[in-house]
Amino acid sequence: MAAYRIQIYDDDPTAALVTQRGLQALLGDEVIVQATTNANEAWLACANGNVDLLIVDPSPYGAAAALIRAVRTYRPYLPILALTAYDTPGLRARMQALGVELYAAKPIELRELAPLVSQALHQVV
Amino acid sequence: MIERDDAVAYIAKLERDLQAAQSRIAALEREAELHARYARDLDRRLAALLSVSAALLISHDIEAIIKLVVQQAVELFPGTANAHIYLIENEQDCRLRLRASAPEHAPAPAFSVLAEMAAKAPRALLLSGPELEYVIHQQHTAHPLSIEDCLWPQSVLLAPLRIEQQRLGALVICGEQLSHLYHPRDLPFVQALADLTVIAIDEVQQRQRAAALQRDLVHTQSLRAEAEARLNAAQAQLLQSAKLAAVGELSASVAHEINNPLYAARNSLYLVEQDLPPDAPQRTFLAIAQQELGRIARIITRMRDFYRPSRGELTSANINALLRETLELVTTHLRHNHVTVRTRLANDLPPIVAHADQLRQVFLNVILNACDAMPSGGELTVSSELIAARAGAPATLAISITDTGVGIAPEHIPHLFEPFYTTKPHGTGLGLAISAHIVTQHGGRITVDSQPGVGTTFTILLPLEPPVTAS
Repeated sequence: MAAYRIQIYDDDPTAALVTQRGLQALLGDEVIVQATTNANEAWLACANGNVDLLIVDPSPYGAAAALIRAVRTYRPYLPILALTAYDTPGLRARMQALGVELYAAKPIELRELAPLVSQALHQVV
Repeated sequence: MIERDDAVAYIAKLERDLQAAQSRIAALEREAELHARYARDLDRRLAALLSVSAALLISHDIEAIIKLVVQQAVELFPGTANAHIYLIENEQDCRLRLRASAPEHAPAPAFSVLAEMAAKAPRALLLSGPELEYVIHQQHTAHPLSIEDCLWPQSVLLAPLRIEQQRLGALVICGEQLSHLYHPRDLPFVQALADLTVIAIDEVQQRQRAAALQRDLVHTQSLRAEAEARLNAAQAQLLQSAKLAAVGELSASVAHEINNPLYAARNSLYLVEQDLPPDAPQRTFLAIAQQELGRIARIITRMRDFYRPSRGELTSANINALLRETLELVTTHLRHNHVTVRTRLANDLPPIVAHADQLRQVFLNVILNACDAMPSGGELTVSSELIAARAGAPATLAISITDTGVGIAPEHIPHLFEPFYTTKPHGTGLGLAISAHIVTQHGGRITVDSQPGVGTTFTILLPLEPPVTAS
């Protein structure tokens, strides 16, 4: 069975690195985790079709909203997880409105984040 | 013979001279008597005017003044039938109204014509005989005069009541019918009487005006003081809430900015830990680092919650443990303030379903308030017990926190739990408001009982199970 591909977009490079290494370590060979701080790069990966889960940090300074809209338009069935440091009820509602079904707030621990990710992947058929 | 005739003629001449002298003497005597009468008359009038002016000075009521003046006018001018004072009612239309008469009966309606004339005159007037009749007929062509109206006095004295340029009214004095004519020398006296009257009236009016102004001033000053106090209170409150908003916004944004590095740091440690052998000596300090980062995470959450309501988890909590933990947290602070702590915690309390962190915050707020209320030290008593209002009723936990401090003034008690209400110079007025909110969210109540100078007891009542809405 081919490994699941996870694409991370986070405009904080350290956070992106930790998420990538952490998920890779915790989920092992089951997944291939890639991280970028460039929304365009993330978008290209999704558009090429070799992504099973997109993890986005919808920071107010990044291009997350545009990325999510584009992905939702071209890849309507790709699961998206919002992983944010700016957790507010307003953001939660905005993410829902954009069609983002998964939501986690930093500083979540990796051992809590991993099951969420794994669950999302296994729902993908 | 001639000598005798001469003598006779001489005697006759002497007799004529004598007669002439006698008649001159008689005339001089009459004149002297007349002068004496004038002098007496003048004396009398002067005395009357002086007594009027003395009386006017001490009189503080316009009605009394004008009544006195009309009475004195009848006395002052012999042969006077009646005297009247008319005053201008309102300054726009200059309408005159009869205000006083002596003796007290209403004059003929046509008298108002004389009053109007008097009010417009620059000085006192004397009208008599045909001149008087002519004036009345001139002014009264619109209303034909009746028989009674035609029974005119032979003469009247009119005087305007005016001070500087302001017209106040008129004084009308009527002689008896068919008997007496006033003399022009009466004019200075009537003018003097009118001037005295006007000065007295004016003084009363000025005094009334001054009193009214004084009242207005006092009223305005009290209004101003009140407005100033309200403004100060509003400004203080505005400042307080502006500060709070700024603190809230700052803490929320700081909290958010810290989340990313915190996330990276704690999870990096986790990844390191994963690679360590189970018995690695580094694990001890790694665990401490992780624990402390977890604490930072909780603090950050609290800071964020300062700005928006908490969505903490309901857990099963031990109230006694929570109270002990809270007291431990402030041990140093209490010792520093010379506050000794006594605890009377009931054994075997059932666990309570609650937001433990929030309840800790409530206890902390109340304990710190108690400490503030004892600036020179005192005793803090913390007790807990299980109470049941009646058999079968849901059990309730009662936590009492009692201090021996300065107490709370009765006027503050109703506002204690209002947000932004504070008696401390540096208080936010939020501690008790948040506490009351948290307790209410748990389906409980917080009450206060205080006696100034003796101390204060806060009692927190909590049901063992919170209402469904609290989750």
